[in-house]
Amino acid sequence: MNSPAPARRPTDWNSAAMQARIRRRYAAERRFRYTGLAAMLLSAAFLAFLLVTMAANGLRGFTVTEIRLPIDFPRSTLFLDPAALKGFGADAALAGADIEGATARAADQAFGTIGGARLLSDGAWLSVRNAIRHDPAILGGRAEIFVPASTALDLAAKGHGTPEMDATRATLAAKGALRTRISTTFLTGSDATDPTLVGVWGAFKGSLLTMLVTLLLAFPVGVFAALYLEEYAPRNRWTDLIEVSINNLAAVPSIIFGLLGLAVFLNMMHLPRSAPLVGGLTLALMTMPVIVIAGRNAIKAVPPSIRDAALGIGASRVQVVFHHVLPLALPGILTGTIIGMARALGETAPLLMIGMRAFIASPPGGITDPATVLPVQIFLWSDEVSRGFVEKTSAAIIVLLAFLMLMNGLAIYLRNRFETRW
Amino acid sequence: MVSLPIADAATHATPETAPKMTARHVNVYYGAKQAIDDVSIDVGMDNVTAFIGPSGCGKSTFLRTLNRMNDTVASARVEGTITLDGEDIYASSMDVVQLRARVGMVFQKPNPFPKSIFENVAYGPRIHGLAASKADLHQIVEKSLRRAGLWEEVKDRLTDSGTALSGGQQQRLCIARAIAVDPEVILMDEPCSALDPIATAKIEELIHELRGRYAIVIVTHNMQQAARVSQKTAFFHLGHLVEYGDTSSIFTTPRETRTKDYITGRYG
Repeated sequence: MNSPAPARRPTDWNSAAMQARIRRRYAAERRFRYTGLAAMLLSAAFLAFLLVTMAANGLRGFTVTEIRLPIDFPRSTLFLDPAALKGFGADAALAGADIEGATARAADQAFGTIGGARLLSDGAWLSVRNAIRHDPAILGGRAEIFVPASTALDLAAKGHGTPEMDATRATLAAKGALRTRISTTFLTGSDATDPTLVGVWGAFKGSLLTMLVTLLLAFPVGVFAALYLEEYAPRNRWTDLIEVSINNLAAVPSIIFGLLGLAVFLNMMHLPRSAPLVGGLTLALMTMPVIVIAGRNAIKAVPPSIRDAALGIGASRVQVVFHHVLPLALPGILTGTIIGMARALGETAPLLMIGMRAFIASPPGGITDPATVLPVQIFLWSDEVSRGFVEKTSAAIIVLLAFLMLMNGLAIYLRNRFETRW
Repeated sequence: MVSLPIADAATHATPETAPKMTARHVNVYYGAKQAIDDVSIDVGMDNVTAFIGPSGCGKSTFLRTLNRMNDTVASARVEGTITLDGEDIYASSMDVVQLRARVGMVFQKPNPFPKSIFENVAYGPRIHGLAASKADLHQIVEKSLRRAGLWEEVKDRLTDSGTALSGGQQQRLCIARAIAVDPEVILMDEPCSALDPIATAKIEELIHELRGRYAIVIVTHNMQQAARVSQKTAFFHLGHLVEYGDTSSIFTTPRETRTKDYITGRYG
């Protein structure tokens, strides 16, 4: 018994149920859009909070408070012949003179009632020495030289002083003996015990040398490994195993690479401790898998039709790889490399393990000299008790962030500039 | 039944000139799957040979055995003998790079290098060291582009990217690129399937002009195209060579019912 199928009524697009469905659909779209917007605003707020906090704390780290110090050279105990300060003997003559003592005595004379030499930074005499070297003629009379103030006075000038120091600051300011100016010390100096004298150049140079070692090692090895795996290696159990291992390696916590570096490079190979060479080798171990993965993805993205085209007119496999695949994959590989390098630049833990957390007061001269790197320097300063290091820590973070932004910006630029689209 | 067209192939071969390429009892496997089953065929120098057949019949696979492009597929395995001028191309003494220069290929989708038009054509002569000087290279490029009927359209913008050309121009650029290394055979794998009718007509015209200078083998889905451009037609079905003969007789008086059904549009 086949009863004829009941005739379907034509769809009523205006029925209440249909209208409700349309409203629900629109509501769902709105909800989705607002959730996305909220998520984005939240992350933007976090970023803004970070940047604003860093800028508020750190920008003061780039300034220095200076005191105008009057020195009466003829009456000081500084016996320097201006004639000796011309030509080659100048540095020796300056080194032999007790400029430090003369500076301290001048400060005691000028500000004896309110603190004397304690108002000056430990490195104040360096400013005096530089002034003399710059113009030996000042030795003939009374001169007024701006020298860096002590940390306590510097903090008072920046609004973080003790009540007594605030009073002193007010006295000095009333005499017009204080000024605040942007200091290059922070960008040109190295680590020091006095926060007014510290700088990031030593750590920055350490970072650059470490990155250089990392790049020279991780980039070629990573790119060739990626090329071999994509273009030559047969697909079998061994290459699967290698692929899994490389992906695993990229996810291994960095402290473990640090331990590996400690065991292999320091204990077994006896390379110099705290050196950018060892830091770079350790970070290269970490960066290489990132480059391999980025490289393989970039190589995979080169359309097979290009390989066919080159093979079809009789290019050998090496020619296909180096004339066509690699140039087309290079922007992607470079982007991945820069992102991997940026990650290595911000890495702290493995470098602590290989001794790059030492107090290094002079910039490294080469890859085997003791050095520290920016993130470790930030870690070290954040641990200091002196209040003066707070803003220096923030200032160092600003330098690190600026450098990271530069690298990531370069990655985006390279991608947009050289990426070929099909 | 299957062995019959093979005998035909022999009788249809022009007696006075030896065939440019011959295939004897060729089997191709992808892993365990057999894609080509006992195919024997001769490709003449003065002819355009068309391979037709429904999708998946193995015509492209067979075409790619003729310049060993199947070597790049790890699971592919070729049995039987294929010769170029009597020389076994699968022999260990055969250099595959030279073979592919002698047996050029044009692909289904135009695939110019993302380089300048000039560089696209110059690449082949350069890697094979065919040009004695810069001027010589320019001459080769111009001659190849002229033969491909593209010179007049691109002579003022040789430094523009090859990918900026239209689809039909790109395909003619690919033909110029294949011609530039002075091949003896040109294999075309559905060269017009991605092109509009006007661009298709230009490529077909070009095939007519190139005929005689190169042995041309073209795989096509389009039976009118096979009828228009070829003198010999081979009909493939499920990995078998069903029928091979003069294009005129295949399209008017096919011996096999399968051929007849296919060319009359019964299936495929």
